[in-house]
Amino acid sequence: MTEAGLQHYLDLAERFQAERAVSAPGWLRTLRQEGIAQLARQGFPTSKNENWKYTNVAPISGQAFTPVRTVHEAGVEAAVARLALPGTGPRLVFVDGWFVRELSHLDGGIAGLSVHSLRDALVKDGELLETLEASVGRRARAEEHPFVALNAALLEEGALVRVAPGTVCTEPVQLLFLTHGDNHVALSSPRVVVLAGDNSELTLVESYMGSAPGVSFTNAVTEVVLGAGAKVTHVKLQSESETAFHIGSLHVEQGRDSRFASHLISLGGALARNEVSTTFAAQGGECILNGLYVGHGSQHLDHWTNLDHAHPRCTSRELYKGVLDDTSRGTFHGKVLVRPDAQQTDSRQSNRNLLLSEAAMADARPQLEILADDVKCAHGATVGRLDEQALFYLRSRGIPRAEAEWLLTHAFASEVVGAVPLAALRAQVEELLGRKLPGAKEGRA
Amino acid sequence: MKPLLSIKNLHVRVAGREVLKGIDLELMPGEVHAIMGPNGSGKSTLSQVLSGRETYEVLEGEVLFDGKNLLSMQPEDRAHAGVFMAFQYPVEIPGVGNLHFLRTALNARRRTEGKEELDAMDFLQLAREKSKLVELDPTFMQRSVNEGFSGGEKKRNEIFQMAVLEPKLAILDETDSGLDIDALRIVSGGINALRSAERSMLVITHYQRLLEYVVPDKVSVLAGGKIVRTGGRELALELEKKGYAWLGDGRTPGGKEARP
Repeated sequence: MTEAGLQHYLDLAERFQAERAVSAPGWLRTLRQEGIAQLARQGFPTSKNENWKYTNVAPISGQAFTPVRTVHEAGVEAAVARLALPGTGPRLVFVDGWFVRELSHLDGGIAGLSVHSLRDALVKDGELLETLEASVGRRARAEEHPFVALNAALLEEGALVRVAPGTVCTEPVQLLFLTHGDNHVALSSPRVVVLAGDNSELTLVESYMGSAPGVSFTNAVTEVVLGAGAKVTHVKLQSESETAFHIGSLHVEQGRDSRFASHLISLGGALARNEVSTTFAAQGGECILNGLYVGHGSQHLDHWTNLDHAHPRCTSRELYKGVLDDTSRGTFHGKVLVRPDAQQTDSRQSNRNLLLSEAAMADARPQLEILADDVKCAHGATVGRLDEQALFYLRSRGIPRAEAEWLLTHAFASEVVGAVPLAALRAQVEELLGRKLPGAKEGRA
Repeated sequence: MKPLLSIKNLHVRVAGREVLKGIDLELMPGEVHAIMGPNGSGKSTLSQVLSGRETYEVLEGEVLFDGKNLLSMQPEDRAHAGVFMAFQYPVEIPGVGNLHFLRTALNARRRTEGKEELDAMDFLQLAREKSKLVELDPTFMQRSVNEGFSGGEKKRNEIFQMAVLEPKLAILDETDSGLDIDALRIVSGGINALRSAERSMLVITHYQRLLEYVVPDKVSVLAGGKIVRTGGRELALELEKKGYAWLGDGRTPGGKEARP
């Protein structure tokens, strides 16, 4: 990391803050200022930082990424049409981080569900602004994370999703973040805030899509707070251009007896890092973290998860799978903390990696810290290759090698893909995988 | 008539050890030829070499199948040419549906034959019909390949696959192992139903039990990497009575004299 690199982002954030100082409410000015101060204090992480041991962010910090106002073109409409989920659920479209009203519809016709673009909500008065003041930065703390700090310093765009207590959202909320093809410096800093009231139900889909050859940087932060008995399913599909950079973190707080599921599919990016950090803030919660990363070329796909069992009788299930080809590298660092009071915790974590080439790499780093005694905790990590016996079995039946490899690789991934909610979304994931998994062309004849 | 399969002086090494030490064998179209032998005699090595497993090294000899040099062909090409091996230990493949797997296999061969591929509906019809041969419950077709199948179900699935793929040569590698008497009857019934003048079978087995159901035209005994005796069905019965020691270990021709 160069000092000059950090300075660019600090200057950028100062200008950003100054331009908006007059119109912003006091708490927002403070939040942005605090973001700047924290970024200055922490700097960008280096490999000396345990949490960033495997990932070098110099390609990001060394480039002068800047928020860019893009005028959306015809291609964007086609992309939205292709990616839009069926149904009448709300859909917010962002291009290079900017909300595009013409392509969005906020009203999903569900009483008790309200969806706003963050920028809209920030200029409103009264209750909406108070909600934001209480929620933004509640889980995602700038003092703990330089990229969260950067996101806070540039906070303006994103979404606020609120579900009133007892509301069951029968349609998903879709947030579509498109990075524009030919913009080489675009920095997007979306902040998504989700507040699910007691006993409400919501499925939220965040799709980050981009087309080559853009070099962009998405620095996304999502905060989700679940009330007692709430059920939230969060899907993140990251399929940006393979020249793009993506850092994203999901911060979750779970109320009593709430159920949260996260499905992460990470396919794009030259360098992509996804973090999920969840805290059981009361007893009886259930948390499922599923992840699939598929790398080829020289992609670097990093995953960092942190499950905080702070209260008793909570259950967590975590499954992350990686498929890595060529010289790509996938990393998984999964931390589970069971605090002293969290008796009867039931936690299982598994990370499995499939290497398709000699030069591909996987780092699996489970990290369990158990401070309670009456708990069930298990974890496992594997790094392996395609099963030669299975391959031979398929070939002996007449399935050509490339097709057999595709079948087995696809089967490996299907455990995670199969758990993704919504058939239309699974179909999108399947299509992206179909294009990406090796042998795909021969295999899908 | 020309033989369908012709093995000449086949020497094969596995993990540094010569396991097959000069096999000569001919199989005529429609013929069912049982290969019997004690454990470690090289029976399974023979079946694996014929189906194209790459962990075996051929030192010498040749194998002609339908006039083609079988040993130079990839496993999938052998399958397309009409070779099928029923595995002794069918492999479990989680995440790959049985029906999808088999349709992919059949269509891969149909492509090489210039035939139109079967769509899912047509294939399902075919699979349903063929599954009756071995009384395979149709729900098995929707499950992952062999995953969680019992020993008997796995073997029935092998014969079901053979029925769908309709090979010219079926190599049955210890298909009777791990079967109880009911399963043996069902599997044997399936095999017998698939016997025809155009389909040869190499039935590899340790016990003559299977041969009570699948009656062979010929029986050969493999011992110590060589075929030490070939005869008719009565040879199997004799082996059952006298045991393999009677024929020796193949180091001495004639066998009998080697172990009086």
